[in-house]
This record gives sequence, structure tokens and C-alpha cells, in this order.
Amino acid sequence: MAVDMRLPTFRSDSRSNSLFDRKVNKDLVVPGDVITTDTGFMRGHGTYLDDDKLTASVAGEVERVDKLICVKPLKTRFNGEVGDVIVGRITEVQQKRWKVETNSRLDSVLLLSSVNLPGGELRRRSAEDELTMREYLQEGDLISAEVQSVYADGALLLHTRSLKYGKLGQGVLVQISPSLIKRQKTHFHNLPCGASIILGNNGFVWLYPTPGQQDEEAGGFYTSLEPVSLSDREVISRLRNCLLALSAHKVLLYDTSVLYCYEVSLSQQVKDILKPEVMEEIVMMTQQKLIEHEG
Amino acid sequence: MAGLELLSDQGYRLDGRKAPELRKVQARMGVFAQADGSAYIEQGNTKALAVVYGPHEMRGSRSRTLHDRAVINCQYSMATFSTAERKRRPHGDRKSTEMSLHLKQTFEAAVMTQLYPRSQIDIYVKVLQADGGNYSVCVNAATLAVIDAGIPMRDYVCACTVGFVDETPLADLCFAEESGGGSSLALALLPRGGQIALLQMDARLHQDHLETLMEAAMTACKGVSKVLDEVVRQHLQEVSVLTGE
Amino acid sequence: MATVQLSEAEKVYVLHGIRDDLRVDGRSCEDYRHMEIETDVVSNTDGSAKVTLGHTAVLVGVKAELGKPRPAAPEEGYLEFFVDCSANATPEFEGRGGEELGMELTNTLYRVFNNKRSVDLGSLCISPGEHCWLLYVDVLLLQCDGNLYDAISIAIKAALFNTKIPKVLISEGEEGGTEIELSDDPYDCVRLSVDNVPCIVTLCKVGHRHVVDATLQEKACTVASLIMAVTPAGTCTCTRKVGRGSLDPESIFEMTEAGKRVGKALHGPLMSLLLQEETLGKKRQKVGFLG
Repeated sequence: MAVDMRLPTFRSDSRSNSLFDRKVNKDLVVPGDVITTDTGFMRGHGTYLDDDKLTASVAGEVERVDKLICVKPLKTRFNGEVGDVIVGRITEVQQKRWKVETNSRLDSVLLLSSVNLPGGELRRRSAEDELTMREYLQEGDLISAEVQSVYADGALLLHTRSLKYGKLGQGVLVQISPSLIKRQKTHFHNLPCGASIILGNNGFVWLYPTPGQQDEEAGGFYTSLEPVSLSDREVISRLRNCLLALSAHKVLLYDTSVLYCYEVSLSQQVKDILKPEVMEEIVMMTQQKLIEHEG
Repeated sequence: MAGLELLSDQGYRLDGRKAPELRKVQARMGVFAQADGSAYIEQGNTKALAVVYGPHEMRGSRSRTLHDRAVINCQYSMATFSTAERKRRPHGDRKSTEMSLHLKQTFEAAVMTQLYPRSQIDIYVKVLQADGGNYSVCVNAATLAVIDAGIPMRDYVCACTVGFVDETPLADLCFAEESGGGSSLALALLPRGGQIALLQMDARLHQDHLETLMEAAMTACKGVSKVLDEVVRQHLQEVSVLTGE
Repeated sequence: MATVQLSEAEKVYVLHGIRDDLRVDGRSCEDYRHMEIETDVVSNTDGSAKVTLGHTAVLVGVKAELGKPRPAAPEEGYLEFFVDCSANATPEFEGRGGEELGMELTNTLYRVFNNKRSVDLGSLCISPGEHCWLLYVDVLLLQCDGNLYDAISIAIKAALFNTKIPKVLISEGEEGGTEIELSDDPYDCVRLSVDNVPCIVTLCKVGHRHVVDATLQEKACTVASLIMAVTPAGTCTCTRKVGRGSLDPESIFEMTEAGKRVGKALHGPLMSLLLQEETLGKKRQKVGFLG
């Protein structure tokens, strides 16, 4: 058995001595800062108009796209947009719909008519389907879905109308801040190290063993409860710790960065990755590698 | 005022400060990873922690949801070991409930709740060590926590407690000065616009002195806002360097 | 306890992992997470400690007050506990929500610590039957990530180690009673001996195996747990079974043996860390929450 006890230290010293002391030429603002007094701009998220002065309302970076100015905060709850891929947990089963928790400001909604029936049938949902909703998705189940639309009050409407979405089986969920997930074309990746990952836009990342060929036809309905092999488990645990290490040091997450972090961490034992000094080393090496390969 | 001299002839206070001088402020944002926003602040010997959860779906009584804005829910509580004499209950007594309501009122003035209809924002403040100016320190900590959570605010909310001794206003009172018998005024200010979010005064004060005292309070709050501003900007710098790609 | 919900498939994954001795974060069944301990964090107290175990954060403050010994034990002082599950940890603890958990934790702490075998209560006595020291031990729960008992007991031990009780002078009063005078010198104090203070080990039964230092996810898969207080000598002073499920006698025996082993191994690093911190003395930079 291992016990790791130590005295706390100041973390900020190491961060300021980072190798990557690039000049930060980002425009950083705090609430109440006037961004511009020019009335020609449209105001986006994170700003408000105060006597014709465009003022920031959150602390973050100013983004200017043509005539639109918005401020992106450092850390925030998930603000869903149409087409985002999310991983969520069912919190309630209501009449003809499920309520899904997605780390956003209101619980998201998944309608009974937006899920695929088992076997891929295409028919109108009957009263019997309503009564057997719990057989498909119960409270506590995890799903991957896509945002269909956004309600007026900000709640998201989800759908799983594709074979790649649906109920999730065995695996590990990691919760991180949504602002650390990079927007990409696809959020489902089969990593070469032997596991698969779903990087939900809402900050929920799902790690699972790469499914074999026969499971792909099930349509996300059948969950296998067979024990996962030890080697797959180790890969998943290592990936999980790498994700936590990257998110603790606020590194943007996408398939390449996760993969590089995994490769760099192979020299350490899985459980050691979460020790502060090991975490820092691994993240620095990952950032180095990212710069080398991507410039 | 017999006994301790709150303001000496040379203009020095009990802890060696001059009348308008603020205590040393040290703060850190993002102290807890599990909450949406958190902050810790030390003003002299008063230490407070603030944690923000939200905005999220309304928990508990669904009937309290507002259709056009978010509900702000505050709780002020003190650790039982925070005061010199042990406090029996951390919260639930009249003073804590009153402070919670004051905090709610203060933040409803600053947070842009109309952006989050039907949701709830929870602000929890805990005083770890009480050495005067508890309410003000809590407001400052909560401001940092709300900024850390990425919830839009019109402006910072800065607060300071000032007292009046020998015709001189004293800024940022410590416990000995608060209980010394003079009047104390707690002011929560939105610095840029000069708008007052909360004003509370205890003990008697001649109305001629009110204006001087308020002026001193506003100056002190502006001083606090400068310090908080620096803390936020430094935190922004640190975190944005890392996310750079 | 603040709980997380897990789907059936996730629970099965966790269960199989523990069966193969590889937990979700790569630890083996008897490993602890990264721990950080610091004493003397709050100055209004006579002793304090802050412990971070994974994401669980606990702050303990000890205040010493003069009181009258209890009639059942006139030659001893005693301890009073209070656990505050603050809303900081989770919104469920707002208002009176945290009281139930707080009461449960407080009652267990009384059973574990408030007896003369664990803490040297005799040293807290000033004059038998009349004056004694009463230690108020207040626990503040700031973040909840599983394994509260262990973190709290380590924090209590560290806080008791850090406690400085002022020296008293007993003199004859005017009407024959004893008078107490506290020493004026703030450095003239008595330290409490923590040689026998136990540490609590929580063993959770998941499937057919048990784990130490369970996270909230693992707790959600637990049938029942065993809480044990183990002294540095390896003796088990208090045992309690918690949880909705039932344990069979063999597994209790197995878990007790494992608990004794794990508990005994906790004290060594803890004491050496506390002594190391003490030797740093005034040069130590207090981190607290500013780290």
C-alpha cells in the first residue's frame, strides 16, 4: 500500500517559470472594462451596453469577428449551440421525455421521439412506448447525443438520431471545464493506444474500450456487461489521469494533445501521474511536443 | 471613549495604520476545483472563502423559479472557530440570516440575472477568521468567486467598513475598532459607476458627519476595487498563457 | 455523503476493475490518494490543521477553554466535537441539509477520540473535580470527494499535535477554593501528547474485495463499509459498520486485518511530516488557501 503525504507548496511559482513565456498579446478584460465607444459594432456574449459604451461583463478574452465583439470567459457552464456533441446523464424520466444533465445552465431535454427505437424501427411512438421508457434509459444512465435546437430560455433540445449516438456502456467519465474542449469536426476518436474517446463539447469526456466489429450494428442499445480486459483498463486509467493532468494545467483538449500526453506519460506509473510534480513534467513535455509537431 | 485609544494623537490606529489606510489584501481565485467558481481572500486577519454554484436548474422548490431571470441564493456562515470566543452555531442565527439577505440584495444589483431565466445561482460564503469587516470581506470574496465562475456582472462589487472616531473617518475597521463603541458604516459599491449596492450603519452618528463618512467609504471601496482588479488580471494572465495554442 | 449517480454499466466497470486490483485512477485497492497536510492555518484557535485528500478538503480548529470535569471522570478533561458540513462542499448542504451527515460524523468522532486510551485526558486536568481543560474540536468540511472519516481523523490528529494549551498556575483563593491564573507568556504552553491518537480507516466493500480511500464513484458501488480506528501500535480501538448492505463475518475479519495494516502504516509518515513541519518553525511560509 502506498501513502503519499506532503506539505503544501505555492503552485504559482512554477507556472510563471514556464518555458512557454510567449508574449500574451491577447486582449484581456474584466467586468466593467470599456471595450470600445464606437457604436458601429454589434455586441455579442459577455458584453453589455452602458450609455453607448460597449462594456465587458465577464473576465476573459475579447474576440472580434468582423463587426461582432464578444468576450469569452475563462471558465463557464456549457452554452450549447446547434450541432454540438454532448455526453450527458439522465436525471429524470418525465412524460414522453427525459431530462439530461449536461453541465449547462438548465437541464437539457431529450424527447421520446428523438431517440432511435431498438432494431431501428421507424414508427410513431405509441402509449406503450411511453410506459416502457425506463427500459431504455433510466435515471443515472449516460448518453451521447447531439444538440438539435436551443429553447428561448437557453435549455437544449437533444437527439440521438444516429447510430453513433445513444446509451453508453462500460467506461469512465471525466468531467472538465467546457472551455477546454477544442471544437473539431468529429468528437468521436478511436485512439491508436487501444481505447476510444468521446470529447463532449459540454466538458464531459467519455473513455471506453474500443468496441469490436459486431457491436457496431446494435445501434447503441445493447450494453455489454462483459469484463473489460486488464490491458484496456490500464490504457483507460492512464488516459483518464492524463486528461485530469491536462485540465489542471488548462491545456486545450483534442485528440492529438490527449494522445501526445499519453505517449509522454508511458514512462510513469499510472497512479503517479496525479502527483503534482509528475503532472507538471508531463504537461510541459506534451506542450513541447505539440509545438514541435504543429508549430 | 475610555480605555483603548482608537486613534492616537499622531494619527496612528491600534494596528499602526493611518486613518484612511486599508489592511493588506491577499486573494486567490479558483481555490476549489469542484465548484463552478471559488475565491479566498485575506484582509488583514479576516479570512473568508466564497464558493459559487451555477447557474443551474432550480433545486428544491420549483415554485420559486422566476420566468425572466435567475434566482440568487446566498448563505453567509461563520466557522465555529472563527471568532475569539467559540461560536456555537455556524449559521441559522439572526445575524447570519440578515447577512445572507444583505449579500443577496447586493449581488442582485450587480449580477445580470436576466440572462439566465428559470435558473438558480448559489453563492456561499464562509468566514474562517473574523477580525472586523466581516460583511465587506465576504462581499469582496463573493465578487471574485462570481467572476471566477464566468457569470456576467455589470461591474465589480467592492465593500468596506468604515468608522468614525475623533472627527476622523477610519477605513477598513478591525474587530477592536468595531467593538470600540464608535459608529460603523458598511458600504458596497460598484466602483466604475459609483453606484451603491448596499449601505448599512450601526450606532449613532451626527448627520453632519454622514457625508464625510460616506465619502471616506467610497474612497476606501475604490481602493479595494483596485486591489481586486489586480488579482483578477493576474489570474487572467496566468490562465490564458496556458490555454494559448 | 454527497453522492454521484452512476449508470449500471459504469458500476460494473468499477466492480471488475477492483476485482483485478486496478482502480479507475490506476491505484491498487490499498493505496491512498495524494494528501497535503498543513497546521496552524487559523490564528484564532489554539491549534488548527488543514488536510487535502484528493479533492476532499477538511479544516479543523481546536480551542481550549476552562471548564469543570464531568462527574464520572473527575481527574480528566474532555473533548467536544462539532462537524460542520458547509454548503461550500455541495449545494445539498445548504441550510440544514448538512446537519444529518454532520451529526453522524460527530457521533463517530466522540466514540473514537473522547476516551482516555486515545487522548491523554489526564493531562487536561488542572485540579481534580474542580477545573480542567475542555477542548472544542471543530471540523469544517469544505470539499467532499469521498473518504471523509480518514481525512477528518488525520486533520484532528494534526490539529491536536499543533495545539498549544496555556500553562496554568494554581493558587489558594480567598475563601479556600483554588484560583486559576493563566500564564501571560504566549510561548509558555503545554503540548498534548498524540502518541496514542488513532487514525480512522474506511474500508468499502465492492463486490468481493474491499478498497481503502474510496472516491465518490466507488462509494456509489459499495454495498457496505467498515470504519476502523487504528492506533500507531496497530490496535483497533473502535469499529463500526455503515451502509445499507450486509457483510458476512469472514469478510469483516479480512477487512479488519487489512484495516489494521493500513492504519498502522498511516501514522509513520504523518508524524514524520508533522515533525518536519515543526522543525521549519518560523521560516515556514504559510500556504493555507493561497497556494
